[in-house]
Amino acid sequence: MTSKSPFGFVRGLAICATAAGAILIFDGAMHVLLAQTPFGGPRPSAEPQVGGIVGWLLARQSEFYREMSSTIRAAKSDGSAVWTLLAISFAYGIFHAAGPGHGKAVISSYLVANQETARRGIVLSFASALMQSLVAVVIVAICAWLLNASAKTMCGAEKAIEIASYALIAAFGARLVWTKGGGFMRALQAPRPALAMASAGQGHGHGHDHHHHDHHHGTDQHVHDEHGGHSHGPEPSELAGPGGWRRGFGAIFAVGIRPCSGAILVLVFALAQGLFWAGIAATFVMGLGTAITVAAIAVIAVSAKDLARRMSAGTEGGGTLVMRGVEFGAAGLVLLFGVGLLFGYLAAERVTCF
Amino acid sequence: MNIARRLLGLLWLAGALALGAGTAQAHPHVWITATSELIYAPDGAITGVRHAWTFDDMFSTYALQGIETKTKGVYSREELSSLAQTNVESLKEFKFFTFAKADGKKEKFEEPVDYFLEYKDAALTLHFTLPLKTPLKSRELALEVFDPAFFIDFKFADKDPVRLVGAPAACQMKFQRPNDGSANAQKLGEQNFLSGENSNFGMMFANKITVACP
Repeated sequence: MTSKSPFGFVRGLAICATAAGAILIFDGAMHVLLAQTPFGGPRPSAEPQVGGIVGWLLARQSEFYREMSSTIRAAKSDGSAVWTLLAISFAYGIFHAAGPGHGKAVISSYLVANQETARRGIVLSFASALMQSLVAVVIVAICAWLLNASAKTMCGAEKAIEIASYALIAAFGARLVWTKGGGFMRALQAPRPALAMASAGQGHGHGHDHHHHDHHHGTDQHVHDEHGGHSHGPEPSELAGPGGWRRGFGAIFAVGIRPCSGAILVLVFALAQGLFWAGIAATFVMGLGTAITVAAIAVIAVSAKDLARRMSAGTEGGGTLVMRGVEFGAAGLVLLFGVGLLFGYLAAERVTCF
Repeated sequence: MNIARRLLGLLWLAGALALGAGTAQAHPHVWITATSELIYAPDGAITGVRHAWTFDDMFSTYALQGIETKTKGVYSREELSSLAQTNVESLKEFKFFTFAKADGKKEKFEEPVDYFLEYKDAALTLHFTLPLKTPLKSRELALEVFDPAFFIDFKFADKDPVRLVGAPAACQMKFQRPNDGSANAQKLGEQNFLSGENSNFGMMFANKITVACP
């Protein structure tokens, strides 16, 4: 990089980040949209193959899942099989979460958008997985055990909860886009000297304090006036404040209220075998496994962002525009996931209802 | 040098996010062991497909949850009739996971007929016939059975997976199972995982039936 054109470089990076974000969003959108109408027929040229990580994961997953039912049956006569069940459930949770769903994408994007710490990412992952397990147990306990409702009814309840979850994710994403969009616009509009100032003035960040103002006034101009010089997000210590955790709770709730269909199947099966408690134990252990995978991915996302921040920090303006762009993109992803899931949910999960 | 490193960082970030966005709905929760019969009319035209889908242990139990029976653990065809009704009605949305092409042209199916559920050896089997909208004589008929979202894993039975019923003697049937992946693991690998290719992911799990009638 030449010292003659620092801003050109910043702009170049911003374009890269925006392009990367756009590609990601497009990619995500395609997944979600195709999930909605998955019957377009196969493309003739592509060879049907399952390879690499995906094939391996799916193979492991199937093995563990299928062993679960036989182990529960075995546990009826042999108590020690419960330990096997727990071990399988744990492994299944780990592998299963590596597949889609389970809020990995939402949690990771949220962490990136919000300058969260890796530690916070781990806590969020575990909390949302715990909540997912709890919801699954509560649904089956009420519908199947207390009310002896049919699978159709239970599935109806599941669907309603799922729609609520997706709507919450979309709302949550919309809010993130709103607040992060403000930051991005500010970074874009800021006269260049202000950008330089921003890097000098880092650390004083009012980070999240003014989000609510954004909501009411909604003009970038206003925000701009109020916080012209500010650019960096809150320090990790500031995030630990009550407001920060409350925001995090929103993420946990939006992701966590949607239970995993796999857990519901296992619970109903265990209930039918008269081993409901074993099913509950398995569900929570499964959640633990899920949490580990989600947390690992969340940590990767957070460290990737930290890396990007550190790398762009050397440029004039502290790479503000780049980071704001990345945050904005991540916020957009959360919104996109929510909206996409909301409209594509039928194809995604309805099958359990037949 | 610097630029490259920066870009690498951004790529890493993008990768991490894409990993999260990853393959759409690619986790099977239901396993079906299937057998299918292709039904032909006396004039040699194919009229429809008759499926028998046996659900796995766990899903069978789940589906039976809350169904009242006279004898515990025994489910008659009548007691299961409303569940069978629900099944075929719900399957409509997924085009019955059955996709037909005659000489390269997509063919449509009518509503299923003759459907019922059977409970045997702790497993439910759904029987149903899908009539083609128009019975047809084609040189080549391709039929695929799979769940594009891969929520359901379709595996055809080891013995007699597909049968032709009343087909003209000259017709030749070929059945191709989905690739188990181990052979081509190197070829696609992670690239496939991160690219848009997985959008029609379930296709990789398609069971292909082709019938050639000269």
